[in-house]
Amino acid sequence: MNRGDPNIDELLNSFIDGELTQTQQMEVRRLIADDDQIARRLRDLQKCKMLVACLPHAQAPAGTLEQIKASLQDRTLSLQTLSFQERRKTRQFSGRRVLAAAAMIALVAVSAAVIYSIFASQRTADRPTPGTAAATGFSGKLELTTSDLTAVDAFISRVIKDNELSDRVHSVSLADRRVYSFSGGRGALNLLLTDLATIWERFGSASLMVETPKFGEQIVVDAVTAAQVAQIVKQEHREESIRLAKDFAVLNNMAELLPGREILAATGEKKPSLITIPKPVLTGDGKTVKNPAPAGADTKEVELTIVVRVPKVLSD
Amino acid sequence: MQPEPANIKGFPPNGVPIDDATLVEQWRWGDSAAMERLILKYQNRIYNVILKICANPDDAAELTQDTFVKIIQGIDKFAGKSSFYTWAFRIAVNLTLNYCQRNSRIVLQSLDAEDYDSHPSTGAGQACPERSRRVLKEFLSDNKSPDPAMEAQNKELYDILVKSLMRLDDAQRTVIVLRDIEGMNYAQIAKVLDIELGTVRSRLSRGRSRLREILEVISG
Repeated sequence: MNRGDPNIDELLNSFIDGELTQTQQMEVRRLIADDDQIARRLRDLQKCKMLVACLPHAQAPAGTLEQIKASLQDRTLSLQTLSFQERRKTRQFSGRRVLAAAAMIALVAVSAAVIYSIFASQRTADRPTPGTAAATGFSGKLELTTSDLTAVDAFISRVIKDNELSDRVHSVSLADRRVYSFSGGRGALNLLLTDLATIWERFGSASLMVETPKFGEQIVVDAVTAAQVAQIVKQEHREESIRLAKDFAVLNNMAELLPGREILAATGEKKPSLITIPKPVLTGDGKTVKNPAPAGADTKEVELTIVVRVPKVLSD
Repeated sequence: MQPEPANIKGFPPNGVPIDDATLVEQWRWGDSAAMERLILKYQNRIYNVILKICANPDDAAELTQDTFVKIIQGIDKFAGKSSFYTWAFRIAVNLTLNYCQRNSRIVLQSLDAEDYDSHPSTGAGQACPERSRRVLKEFLSDNKSPDPAMEAQNKELYDILVKSLMRLDDAQRTVIVLRDIEGMNYAQIAKVLDIELGTVRSRLSRGRSRLREILEVISG
């Protein structure tokens, strides 16, 4: 088969797919009639399309709907979503609260302005306006692979127990994986990551997926370290987390491609790193340190799903 | 585009199909049955597209599940500027391409382990049995054209086709799957992938040419 002219190929493919105007179709028909090579090329492309189109259609596994429901429950989201009316009521109620809050703020502002005007002459310097440090949530997924799933699961379960994180971590056991859904504050997650860092070497791969505001899009940081996860999560704003995740994704990919990596691996040394990132404190010997999670101010600002699975082996 | 199936849950008993916009609207008004109808309506098509792009049934099942979870979680963000159909496939394809990016090395290693040219004879366990090669060669040549619909049911030929598709780069494979398997038109593909119409044309054209070359090499 000869390689076709890319422009002619595009035209012929559009003809096959019915994406040409009447005039263009007539032009293609004329070309086919006048040129045997083009006619042959058209047949080749048609056959190629035909073969792919004839592939049998696969059916989704039975019980997909039930699994979706179960998955939603795991993510602490009920399938029975609030009805529109209920949500509207909630919004109206929230709206009233916002209005009340706005009125209060306006009242305080007016009072402050009056007081300020009275005492302004006594002040010698302007004070800076305090910044608003609104904590915004982090949402992501950490995928770890290990050939020793049972031991890792036992270790993580102990970490959760020792750090009193049971109310923040919901775990699910499947045949080839364990899923730990963490929902809590950054401090609590740090405790988990610090202990996890002590066994990080036992993971075959580690990838962090960070949700972006664009729906369905994620930043994927491959070969991520526990320290990098901690740094990404600890960012105060979601945008900063995303930016840092993008940087780490690029850096880690570059580190993977650095020359001499295989030699370093063979000599048992660490893989080359382009930057030095401070590691979390290690507890050593795989033992965990009992360190109760901070209470009170520990809000649910982080949602991280940790999936530990056995490595996939693609079968034929 | 493929005709809508006539007997799935997602259609009322009187047989009149409810369009997606109506189902989305009912879902937003709290009708969870409408949501289930949409899932049942699209689960097979989305699974099939994901499977043809990623070639791993287990992962395709998981990605299908993730797709619908994202759809459910994001239905309030769905503004209706595009159709539900293209929006849903956009989520599915984005998730699948992220998956492909993460697993590209594994897939390529797996494919490289199967050296088609080193198995010229027939026999069990061969990566490309002689009969399938012959059928493929006959089909590709002008001399004889077996019925492609019948031959594609042949498991060995099916495997060859799927593996040939996997040898294309992700972008080309996705466009071919959306066009030739899902039956989208160029404008729908452009919306799903958020690319220009011209890019769809060129990717599809290059993809088909490359696929043809791969199939010819395999068929000998």
